[in-house]
Amino acid sequence: MRSLKRSPKPVSDVGYLRSVALMGTVVTIHVVGRGATQETIRYAAGSTRARYPREEAVERAFEWFRRIEECCTRFEAGSELRQLSAQVGVPVPVSAILYEAVQFALAVAEESGGAFDPTVGYAMETRGFNREYRTGQAVGTGIEPGGPVSYRDVRLDPGQRTITLLRPLILDLGAIAKGLAIDLAARELRPFENFAIDAGGDLYLGGCSPDGQPWAIGIRHPRRDNALIDSLRVSNRAVCTSGDYERPSPVEGHHILDPRVGTSPCAVVSVTVVAPTAMLADALATAAFVLGPAEGIRLFDRLGVDGLIVSPELERHATRGMSSAC
Amino acid sequence: MRRTNLSLLTIALAIFGTSIIAGHPDWGTFMGLVILLIAAGLAVGALPSRSEQNIVIVKERAANQKVSSSLITLSSAAILAVYAAGYYRTESAADGYLAQTARRRTADLIVPGAVVPPVATPGIQATPAVRPSSAPPLRKASPKTSSNQVSNAAPPPATSDDSPATSFAPPAIRPPDDQPAEPAAPVVRTPPGKYKDGTYSGLGSSRHGDIEASVVIQDGQIVSAEIARCLTRYPCSWIVHLPQQVVSKQSTKVDYVSGATESSDAFFDAVAQALSQASE
Repeated sequence: MRSLKRSPKPVSDVGYLRSVALMGTVVTIHVVGRGATQETIRYAAGSTRARYPREEAVERAFEWFRRIEECCTRFEAGSELRQLSAQVGVPVPVSAILYEAVQFALAVAEESGGAFDPTVGYAMETRGFNREYRTGQAVGTGIEPGGPVSYRDVRLDPGQRTITLLRPLILDLGAIAKGLAIDLAARELRPFENFAIDAGGDLYLGGCSPDGQPWAIGIRHPRRDNALIDSLRVSNRAVCTSGDYERPSPVEGHHILDPRVGTSPCAVVSVTVVAPTAMLADALATAAFVLGPAEGIRLFDRLGVDGLIVSPELERHATRGMSSAC
Repeated sequence: MRRTNLSLLTIALAIFGTSIIAGHPDWGTFMGLVILLIAAGLAVGALPSRSEQNIVIVKERAANQKVSSSLITLSSAAILAVYAAGYYRTESAADGYLAQTARRRTADLIVPGAVVPPVATPGIQATPAVRPSSAPPLRKASPKTSSNQVSNAAPPPATSDDSPATSFAPPAIRPPDDQPAEPAAPVVRTPPGKYKDGTYSGLGSSRHGDIEASVVIQDGQIVSAEIARCLTRYPCSWIVHLPQQVVSKQSTKVDYVSGATESSDAFFDAVAQALSQASE
């Protein structure tokens, strides 16, 4: 019998870790802590039942990703988002997930003066972002706005929880939806205190890392593979990075679009935001990408979040909190 | 308007005070001073309201800031709203996990003996790490079907290796209890979805080695896509984020890297490859 050579650092030492392909990326959830997690529940009748709180919580956390993807994807004709896009001019009652995601997207759009805009779906589609990530098959929504649209063409009714599209348009909740899923997963894992969620480089770090310190986070270098442009220590924060290196457009530019002009902005190559929630961090990273370094940093300061913006010349623009964190 | 009234009163009091000081030198000096002081106090009180026009702007900015920082609040509120609305549905996912646990535990007991890696790469031996992902197709039942899943789980999602076109020799990690008595040929019911039901695997490469993904299709839908095996020197579960190697060239040690990382792509390629078989 051959001896099993173990990895130098057994996983049990650092906790429980699982990766699943979801939302067009790989989601890893990591709960720190060692030892058995089995818990025995004794019922009054004398029977017992084993439970695995940590594993179950991780499972629930992944379930949030699945549910939000199911609801907010642009690539499935049956998704709630697509159902909504199919109806123009009428108030459509929607689920809590879709309503909250759209409401928040509109708030960020308002706050960023339209630099972030959830109505870029059609523009994204025409720029080649119309492929279902799992299959590579092109998925067209068949909806044409027939003119420029903006976030002002979306109306919310908080009382009835309905969304009304004033014009034919395609909502793209990419950044917000992923952020929301991370936040919900984090909410689910909160009882464990120390955990990390990594959804394709968008992170939420709860508590401390296995070494008892705040999590050490590297920020990917936008131009050099396998290198970091910076690192910081965070706790109970989301860290999201948007870079022009991910998902280049088959047409031209990359995956971020300036909603106001319809082209990819080029004053920035990478934006990292550190915020209390991932949905905010993700949305603001996109907004700052469009706004450029100076305005982006001003936006971060105004909103009370930290951020790092890297220009094509690899100049670093950071908020004060960020510089001190490094 | 209140501001003007206040200023008028101040002026009136000031005049009154001065006239008392001037008119009644014996007792008026004291009283007059008191009245003047009151006037001064009023004037000071009126001062801030005098700059009300400026304040409008300041206030507006303050309100703005409130809106801004409330973006943080708003996001937190949104998360809570969704969380509260959907908690019970994710509960079923946890139950699904529980339902699978018993089977997996028994599987775990047998797995170590069964691990005879067909490709002698050190990484596979990191079985303890692999274990969580070797069985997952089982517990990845979609929440709605999870309860039925338990009873009929055996045939389709059985193992990660009965896929027709695996690029590997049948992987060693084969939880025996998952192996139903009947040959676990990919079950092909004519599905409503776009894929053929079954379990498929695909391979993706990264510079750290290959990753095998296992994809389970049920009713034409993707039920799960997980890492089945890693032919690397890292434990399976670590492969996709692997900040260690990013950092090995640098002196700093980081736990995670923000910004899309390359090893995730390998997993994704593997999933795409598995799916291409499912749609053929």
